[in-house]
Amino acid sequence: MRKLIVATLAGAALSVMAMPAQAAWKSYVNKELGFSFMAPGDVKTEVGNSRGTLAGPRQTIVYRSIEDNIEYKVTVISFIQAQAEGAALLGERQYTFQNRKKVLTDTFALVGSGKDTVYGRKIVVEQPDNKGRTTGVFYFTKGRMFVLEATVLPARSNAAAQDPDRFVESIAFALARMAPDAIELTTPELE
Amino acid sequence: MRMKVVLTTLVCTALASMITLASMTAPVMAAWRSYISHPMGFAFAAPGELEVAKGAYRGAVAGARATSVYRFVDDNIEYKVEVIDMTDKANDSATLLGEAAYIFQENNKLFMDAFGAVDRQYGRKLTVDLPNNGGRATAAFYFIHGRIISLVATVLPANGDYDTPEAARFIDSISFHTVRAPDNAIELPAPPK
Repeated sequence: MRKLIVATLAGAALSVMAMPAQAAWKSYVNKELGFSFMAPGDVKTEVGNSRGTLAGPRQTIVYRSIEDNIEYKVTVISFIQAQAEGAALLGERQYTFQNRKKVLTDTFALVGSGKDTVYGRKIVVEQPDNKGRTTGVFYFTKGRMFVLEATVLPARSNAAAQDPDRFVESIAFALARMAPDAIELTTPELE
Repeated sequence: MRMKVVLTTLVCTALASMITLASMTAPVMAAWRSYISHPMGFAFAAPGELEVAKGAYRGAVAGARATSVYRFVDDNIEYKVEVIDMTDKANDSATLLGEAAYIFQENNKLFMDAFGAVDRQYGRKLTVDLPNNGGRATAAFYFIHGRIISLVATVLPANGDYDTPEAARFIDSISFHTVRAPDNAIELPAPPK
């Protein structure tokens, strides 16, 4: 009996050692842009570009990390001068995200409660050519569009991993409730 | 040969009689007319007589709002266009539109929830079954010029044909390029004060 217990414990220890090391999830906040989220891995800040028929060409602020073959990406686009067009701009972004892809789900997404609720959409698509599965959430608030995308890359066998949901559902716009140990993100200068 | 001619004549006569009878017993369908609002910047088409009324809308984000309602009933289908003025909160358009669509489907059986893209405006189109066998409602929601424009076609149980194309015809008739409205489009009146 003792041998069996020792063997079981040794087996469990070996299997834990053989698993890929999971990075800890950390909270991030950008007080200037007014949002926070959680992600694993080393989050890097970049400047990106996007273009839409309505939105036109835009520089974007991107926060990105890759962990265990899942890419986590937050994109922030400023539309301070076109806030009243937010509904159409958000719709265009959502439409572009799922256009010509296999849509697995497309549902309402909400952040906050009561009069402070921010309504958006959560869409899950399969990328073409077996490039993975992307979960995206889309919000527009206070003149900025916030897009969180988590792509489970083909190298990761479990496309239905729970981490993408954890990532996209971590977005918050009420900074009063942010984690006290949240890491402050910088806002890169745009041209 | 003569027998064949007689039989053919009989069959044709019977068919013609059946078609005539069927058309006599079918409900009288009202003609579809085009409507336009130049101040609000949209046009649509609907059958039946136009009723104009004031309505009310409430959302946690939007608050309490008075609305303008343009309503038609034909062949036990209710067609309703509702305009909610949100100009004072237009900067929250994405959330206000999401809230309106969310409220429409909340606690109802949702059949369809899809993009509604019309004249460079992105909205949502939804179909729900109303509770207590209240019929099936198809709706479209758009936010334009500081207003939520919603179109709802409700097929009532007395009609029963929940797959009727009339609901989609109404929903898809919306246009935000008023230049596309027919010349004989009727200008929508303002609701009573």
